Amino acid sequence: MSDKQGASSMHDPVTQEIVRGKLLAAADEMGIVIARCSMSPVIYEVLDFACGICDPKGQLIVQTNGITLFTGTFALQVESMIRRFGDDMHPGDVFMTNDPYDGGTHTCDIALIKPVFIDGTLEGFSIAVAHWSEVGGAVAGSISPSATEIYQEGIRFPGLRVCRGDVVQPDIIELIRENTRLPVMCIGDFNAELAAVRIAETRLCEIFEKYGGDFVRDTFAHILDTSEQLARQAIAALPDGVYHSTDFIDGDGVTDAQIPVCVEVRIAGEEMTFDFTGSSPQTRGPINCAYGALSSSVKTVFKSLVDPQAPSNEGWFRPLKLVCPEGTIFTATKPAPTGWYYEGSAHASELVWMALAPLAPERFSAGSYMSLCGTYFFGRDPKTDEMFVHIEPAVGGWGAMADRDGTGALIATTDGDTYNYSIELFEAKVPLRVRQYALNTDGGAGAGRQRGGFGVVREFEIVADEAHTYCSYGRSIVPPWGLEGGGDGSTNYMEFDHDGETHRVSRIAYQALARGDRVRVVTGGGGGFGDPHDRPPEAVNADVRDGYVTRDQARGAYGVVINDAGETDAEATANLRGGT
Amino acid sequence: MGRMAVDIGGTFTDLVYFDDDTGELTAEKSLTTPSDLTQGIQNSIALADVSPEAVSFFVHGGTTVINAITERKGVKTALITTTGFRDVLEIARGNRPDLYNLRFEKPEPFVPRYLRFEVRERMDAEGNEIEPLHLEDLDAIVATCQAEGVEAVAVQFLHSYASPAHESECAAELRKRLPDVAVTASHEITREWREYERANTAVLNAYVQPIVQRYFERLERTLGEQGLNCPMHAMQSNGGSTSFDWARAHPITLVESGPSAGVNGAALVGELCNEPSVIYLDIGGTTAKCSVIMNGEVTVTTDYKLEWSRTNPGYPVKVPVVDIVEIGTGGGSVAWFDRVGSLKVGPVSAGADPGPACYGQGGTEPTVTDAKLLTGVLDPDYFAGGQIKLDRAKAAAAMQKIADGLGVNVEEAADAVIRLADADMINALKLVSIQRGHDPRDFVLVVGGGGGAMHAATLGRELGAREVIVPRYPGYFSAWGMLATEPRRDFVRTRLMRADGVTADDVRTLYTELRDEAEEYFGSDTNVDAEDLSFAGRIDLRYQGQEHWVGVPVDMAAPTIEGVLADFHVAHERAFTFKLDDTPVEFVNFHLVATASVPRPTLKPLDNEGLSGDAAVKGTRRVRYGEDGEHEATVLARELLPAGYAGDGPLLIEEKSATTLVHPGQVLRIDELGFLRIS
Repeated sequence: MSDKQGASSMHDPVTQEIVRGKLLAAADEMGIVIARCSMSPVIYEVLDFACGICDPKGQLIVQTNGITLFTGTFALQVESMIRRFGDDMHPGDVFMTNDPYDGGTHTCDIALIKPVFIDGTLEGFSIAVAHWSEVGGAVAGSISPSATEIYQEGIRFPGLRVCRGDVVQPDIIELIRENTRLPVMCIGDFNAELAAVRIAETRLCEIFEKYGGDFVRDTFAHILDTSEQLARQAIAALPDGVYHSTDFIDGDGVTDAQIPVCVEVRIAGEEMTFDFTGSSPQTRGPINCAYGALSSSVKTVFKSLVDPQAPSNEGWFRPLKLVCPEGTIFTATKPAPTGWYYEGSAHASELVWMALAPLAPERFSAGSYMSLCGTYFFGRDPKTDEMFVHIEPAVGGWGAMADRDGTGALIATTDGDTYNYSIELFEAKVPLRVRQYALNTDGGAGAGRQRGGFGVVREFEIVADEAHTYCSYGRSIVPPWGLEGGGDGSTNYMEFDHDGETHRVSRIAYQALARGDRVRVVTGGGGGFGDPHDRPPEAVNADVRDGYVTRDQARGAYGVVINDAGETDAEATANLRGGT
Repeated sequence: MGRMAVDIGGTFTDLVYFDDDTGELTAEKSLTTPSDLTQGIQNSIALADVSPEAVSFFVHGGTTVINAITERKGVKTALITTTGFRDVLEIARGNRPDLYNLRFEKPEPFVPRYLRFEVRERMDAEGNEIEPLHLEDLDAIVATCQAEGVEAVAVQFLHSYASPAHESECAAELRKRLPDVAVTASHEITREWREYERANTAVLNAYVQPIVQRYFERLERTLGEQGLNCPMHAMQSNGGSTSFDWARAHPITLVESGPSAGVNGAALVGELCNEPSVIYLDIGGTTAKCSVIMNGEVTVTTDYKLEWSRTNPGYPVKVPVVDIVEIGTGGGSVAWFDRVGSLKVGPVSAGADPGPACYGQGGTEPTVTDAKLLTGVLDPDYFAGGQIKLDRAKAAAAMQKIADGLGVNVEEAADAVIRLADADMINALKLVSIQRGHDPRDFVLVVGGGGGAMHAATLGRELGAREVIVPRYPGYFSAWGMLATEPRRDFVRTRLMRADGVTADDVRTLYTELRDEAEEYFGSDTNVDAEDLSFAGRIDLRYQGQEHWVGVPVDMAAPTIEGVLADFHVAHERAFTFKLDDTPVEFVNFHLVATASVPRPTLKPLDNEGLSGDAAVKGTRRVRYGEDGEHEATVLARELLPAGYAGDGPLLIEEKSATTLVHPGQVLRIDELGFLRIS
C-alpha cells in the first residue's frame, strides 16, 4: 500500500477526494432522475431501485443509497455483460438484463447497463436497476407465490443490446409492449432508467475531461483500495473463530414444510468466509435466490459490520469469501423459480446476522420481522374498467439493542430507503380502501431489558367487484429471535374475511376476493434484548400508559405491578422481581 | 417615515432601516438575547438611533419556530385522527435511509401515543363522506386533554385535502370546548395529499403555536410601548411576508424565515443589477446554503424536511419553503483525516466557541478560516474590521497535523483544506443548478453573509457563472433581504386532468377562482390595496403515469393548451434528458403566487466624492490562490473604491464584515451601486 503514493507521480489525495465527491454526486443524480421520471408507484413512491457507476472491469465504484438487495448484484451483472459482449461493445450501446442466474435477482428487476467510452476507450459502466410492476407471466405482477419454473415469472432479457448508437431498438420495445400487462408503465420505467444511465455517462465524461483519464482511473483504484483497507482493519479487530447459525424458512409457497438453512462464518486474520454448505437444495416454490442475490445479502450484513455509513463500493468486499455449492436454495439454477427471491435472500442475511450478533453488539440488534411481507392485489378498477396491480412491501418490528428499544414499523433488511405507500395516494388510484394502519400491539414484541419494536396491522377493504390477492410472508412459524435473555418477537401473517369466514395464511397464490372483503396484513414485533426483569419499572409504566404493553404483560413478562390509577406499585414489583 | 427589518440570528440581532425620506440605509447589530429576544431588538433599535414613531413598516425574521422544534421546546401537543390511524404519525414512512445500519433509529414523533386519539369519520379520495363525523367521540378526548394539561391539538383526517368538512367541524368544536388550547386542522396548513406528511405538518404547527403567540404578543406590546405601532409583518419561508395575525395561526410557515430572507435579498440584488437569473450562496460558520432564482423568482417547494440528512428521514413539513440546499461546510468547519487517511472537511464545526484556532479562544482544530488566514486571504489585523485579532501561529500549529498527514508544509495543507471545502460547495451549487436542468452560464452568483465573499470568485469560476456579485452590506444580507420582501401567499390547487380534456377556459376559470381567493386573503390585510396585487401562475404537468411533475409558467389571462404543452416537453427534456411526444400529458397542480407590491427601498448610487482607486490601495500581500499558485495581491479598502473602478486580479478587497478575493485573470468592476462585480 505504502509504495503506491510514490508509484504515482500524480497521486494527489485532495484532488482524489474531490473526484470521489463528484462521482457520488453523479450516482445521486441518477437516483433523482429515476424517481422523477418513473411511471411505477413501486419505483417513484416506494423507491425500489438502485444506480451505480462501475470501472471497466465491472467493479462498483459508487452507488446510490437505494436498497440493500442490489448491494452485490451490480458487479456480477456488468461482468456478465462483459463476458457476453467482450470487444463487441461500442459507444452508444445500452444493454438490458433481468437474468437471475447471471447476477440478477428476479425477472421484475430490470438492469440497464451503459458502457461509457471516452475518446474511444471503455472507461466504465453506468448501471440502473429498477423493479418494474409487471413483466408478464402467470399472474399479474409476475411473481406467482406458487410458481415452479422461471417461465411462469414473465419475460426474460438475458442481456439484450437495447440501444445502438444511442438509438433505442424499436423491435425490443415492441417485444416489451406485447409481453407485459402494463406496457405503458414498463416503457415509462425503461425511459427513466435510460435517462439515468445517460446522465451518469455525461457526468463521467465531464470528470474525465477535467481531471484526465490517468488521474480518474487512479482515483477509481484508490477508492477501492482504501475501502478494502478499512474492511480488513475491521475484520482484524474481531476474534478469529468459527461461528454458526441455523434457521428454518417457513414454507416455499408450494408446500408448508419448514426448510432448514445454515451458515458457517469463519474469521481468520483480515478475511471472512461465509459458507452456506448444508443449506437445503433449491425448492420447487419461488423463494429461492440465485448467487447474485446471495452475494447481496451477505454483503449487506458484512457492510453493516465493517462500516455501515461509508459509501459502498466493491473494495469493501474484497476480504469476503462466499462458499455455497450450486443448486441450493441460495444458489438456485435454471429453471428454478426466483420470483420471491428476497425471502431466500432475507434468510441468508439473517443467518449471517444471527451468527455475528454476539460478536458485535454495537453493530447489531436482535432478530426482526425480516420478511418484506410482499402483498399483491390485482383486478379490475370499476371506475376505469382497466386492470390494476398494487404491490406493497410491509414494514414491521425490529429487534432490541443493548442500549435501546427496537424500532417499530420499519422496512426489512432486504430493502432500505424504501417507503410505505401513502394511503391517500393509492386510494385515489386503485379500488382498495384502508380501514386501519396501526402498530401491532396485540401481537406484541419481544420482552427484554430493551423491548423489541412493534410490527403493524394494515387492513384493506376491497371496493371492486373483481379482485385477487397473493402474498408470500416468511417468519410465520419461527418468530424473530431475542438476544441475551430477551424474549422472542411475534410472527407475520395475512388474515382475510371471505364468504363469511376468516382465513389466516402466510404464502398464498391467487385468492379471489369479493367487494367488501377485508384483508389484514399483520407483521411481527422484533426480539427483545436482556432480561425483562431488568427493564426499569418506569419504562414499563410508560409502555402501559402508551398502550404498547398491557398491565397483564407488565406483570407477567416484566414483573412490574401497575395499579388501577396507572401508578407502579414499587413494593409488589420488588416482591415479584425478587422472587425470580 | 421609514421601513425596518429585524433578523434575529443565533449570535446577532441584525437591524436594517431604510429612511424613505432621505434614502439613507442604516445597518446595526447587537448580541441576541435568548432569554428575552425583544431586548436584543430594542438594543439594535437604540444603536441605529431610529425613532420608533417614524417606522411605518416593520418586518421580523427569526429562529423562534425552528429553535422550538429542534430543541424540543414546544408545548404538550395532542393529535386527533380518523379511527384506525392514530399510529400513522409513529409509523411514518418506514424507510431506512441509513440502509446498512442494523441499529437504525427512527425520528421520534412529536406526539406520544397516549396523546394520540381517534374519532369515527371517513372521507374517500374524492372527498365523499363514507362515515359521518361522530363529534360525541370528542367527549373523552377533551377530558383527557384537560386532565393532561395539553396546550395544543392537531387534527388530521384522511383525505381532508380533498374535503376538509370534517376537519373543520372537529376543529371548530375543539376551539369551543378547549378555548385556551391552540387547535390546528391539517387542511388549514396544507391541501396536499399524503397522510403522514400532512399529520406531521399539522402537529408541528400546533407544537409551536402557543410559543409564537406569546412571543408576538410580547413583541407587539414592548415595541408598542416605545411608540412603534405600525403594522407588523413576519418573514415566511416562501420568500414573502405575512401579517402577524396570519402567522400566529400558521407559525410553521415561518420555519425557514432567515434563509428565505437571504434568498430574497439575492433576488433583489439580481433585480438591481438587471440580472434575473441568480445562484445565491451564503457561507456561515457551520454550513453553506445555496438556492436558485429564475427570472427574478425564488424557487419554492413543499418537499421540505426538518432534520433530514443522508441517514435521517427527518420530519416532512408541507409548507412552501424556498428551495435551499444546505451542506455541512462553513468557515468554522474542521479539517480531519478519516481512518484511511483521506482528508475531509466538516461537518464538525468549531462554531463560535471556541471558534477557529486563529481566534485564540482555545480552539486547536484546523478550520477553513484558519486556512484562509494561512493562505494570506485574511489579514490578521483587520478581521471584523480589526475587532478580532487573528493568531497566525495558532492557526499554523493547528494546521500542522494536516501538513504532517499530507507530507507538505503548512501553507500547502491550508490550500488543500480550502480546495476540499470549495469542492463540497461546488457540488451543492451544481445540485441546485445543473442537476435541476439549468445552465450556470446563464446565471450570476450572488454572495450573502460574511463568509461567502472569500470563496465566491473561485466557486463562480469553476461553476461557470457569468459574473460574481458581492453586494453592499454582505453581513446584513438577511435583514436587507427582508426589507425587500413583499406580502406573499402561495395558492395551490391539485386537480388531476388529462391534457386532451382540458380547455383554455378551464384553466382561466380555475385561475379566476384562485385569484378571488387571493384577493379575499389580502382584503383582510389593511396594509394592502387591491391594485397593488400581482399574480403569477405556474402549472405542474407530467406524463401520464408519472408521479413527479415539471412546472411551467402560464399566462393566466390568455392561456393556450398547446403553448403549455410545448413548454412542458421542453422543460422535461431539459430536466431529464428526454421527452415523450406521444405519451398523454396530465395537468396536476395549479399554482398562483400572489404578491402585494409595497414600496421597495431604492439604493442610492454610490457617491464618488472622496473615493478613488488610488486612495483605496492599502498595500500588497502574498496570497495563495489554490490551483493558480501564489501571487502578490493588491489589497483594496472597499469603502474607498469609487463606482466605475475597474481592476485586474490578483486582488483582495477588504471591508469590515467580509474579504473578497479576485483571482489572477479575473476582472473586478465597481458598479454604480457600489457592488463588486467579478468576471
